[in-house]
Amino acid sequence: MSGRVLHAQLHLRDRQLIDQRNGRLLGKVDDVELDLEADPPVVTALITGEQRIPARLIAEIDTAVKISNEGLDLDHWDDWFERHIIDKIPGAGDKAD
Amino acid sequence: MKKLLAVTLGILTAIGGFVDIGDLVTNALVGARFGMRLGLVVLVGVIGICLYAEMCGRVVAVAGRPVFDLIRERLGRRTGLLTLIASFLVTLLTLIAEIGGVALALELASGVQYLLWVPLAAFAVWLVIWRVKFSRLETVFGLMGLLLIVFAVALWKLGPDWGQLMHQATNPRPIGHETWATYGYYAIALFGAAMTPYEVFFFSSGGVEEKWGREDLITARANVFVGFPLGGLLSLAIMGCAAVLYLPVGIQVDTLAQVTLPAAVALGKLGLAIVLIGVFAATFGAALETALSCGYTIGQYYGWQWGKFVRPRQASRFHLVMIICLALSILVLLTAVDPVKVTEYSVVFAAMALPLTYLPILIVANDPDYMGENRNGPVTNVLGLVYLGLLLVASIAAIPLMIITKGGQ
Repeated sequence: MSGRVLHAQLHLRDRQLIDQRNGRLLGKVDDVELDLEADPPVVTALITGEQRIPARLIAEIDTAVKISNEGLDLDHWDDWFERHIIDKIPGAGDKAD
Repeated sequence: MKKLLAVTLGILTAIGGFVDIGDLVTNALVGARFGMRLGLVVLVGVIGICLYAEMCGRVVAVAGRPVFDLIRERLGRRTGLLTLIASFLVTLLTLIAEIGGVALALELASGVQYLLWVPLAAFAVWLVIWRVKFSRLETVFGLMGLLLIVFAVALWKLGPDWGQLMHQATNPRPIGHETWATYGYYAIALFGAAMTPYEVFFFSSGGVEEKWGREDLITARANVFVGFPLGGLLSLAIMGCAAVLYLPVGIQVDTLAQVTLPAAVALGKLGLAIVLIGVFAATFGAALETALSCGYTIGQYYGWQWGKFVRPRQASRFHLVMIICLALSILVLLTAVDPVKVTEYSVVFAAMALPLTYLPILIVANDPDYMGENRNGPVTNVLGLVYLGLLLVASIAAIPLMIITKGGQ
């Protein structure tokens, strides 16, 4: 794990989550899970909604947090509304996208 | 030509702030009652929105984050949610009014009652959002809205006593039977409209839609310093026309037809035709701006995929929010509520939203982590704080003044 010193409140909480692969917006960092046993304490995971993003998936922390979207289900609701409503309207875009 | 078209985002944004349906009527009403004695407020508003929109444009170009990202990040989840609710309601109420405004413009042009135009207007706004590219939408409605310059031509043709208009403008106080309370109420209405929150939501999100980077800092600035002063100029021209035509004979303005009349008086049928197209474009443009801002604010608060830079199916919740908002607009307007009155109620929510919207912008524009060497200089910060103070005063005074004056009567 890299040893960057972060202010969890300032650098992580409420930041935008972005898919490192394709730039898709994946939600906000609602909370941060810390390992307080370690010295200094380290970030073990980010929480967004009901989902837990393990720290190893964090790719880059800048003005937004880039993650690799592996084994996560962050697109659940966007997909649900896409399938049930938006896709039924003509001109919503190609399926291939 | 390409350079010229690059500033249409600023122009379209400014139309929503200075000459949307509520402002068209408010500007003319104020001109008819106070002459140019509230003109100074428009100038103060132009400087304020230029100041903060420049910061937003810079943050987008350097850090790539639009305004509601900043609000959520700096105010946190709870206060951010409060800001979201207040600013979303202002924007939604304004959207409702704009759809009504488009319908009213169509009524003036066709003679067919505006309620029949309401569903069609809302559907047309949705269709443009659904299908038309952002840059196209911004160019077409930005440039068409500029037809409202006809008010400046009309003012000049009316041959006013410029010395007298100047005298009014440099004596900012109420006259005749007008009180300081009504003067203050309309001052806040004009100032609040000039700095209405959805301008910075739309402008900064538009910058992201246009994929601004560091190399676009100059484009961002050009948009700000061309667009907003132009908006202010249109606003003053409308006020001036009413000051010349209505103030001396003591006519009160409360309909869109009265707003457009000076152009017909000065320039005949052609003037009227141009002003009607201009009003249609401005209200339609403001409807696009507010509808998109409804989607932008909620999308950015929750971190959903938003924007027209992806296909609708890739930003399904963003598009769904706008569809719901437009459907709500139709329902509200079909109760036959006066569209112009609707914007007046939005003042209440604007009062809450204003300081909470602009504070995070000022903070982030100073954050070296975000901005590096492009962070605010001392002059910008002093001005920014002065305006934050003004916004706070306006937001505290808005509701009491609205009650005391019974909405400016």
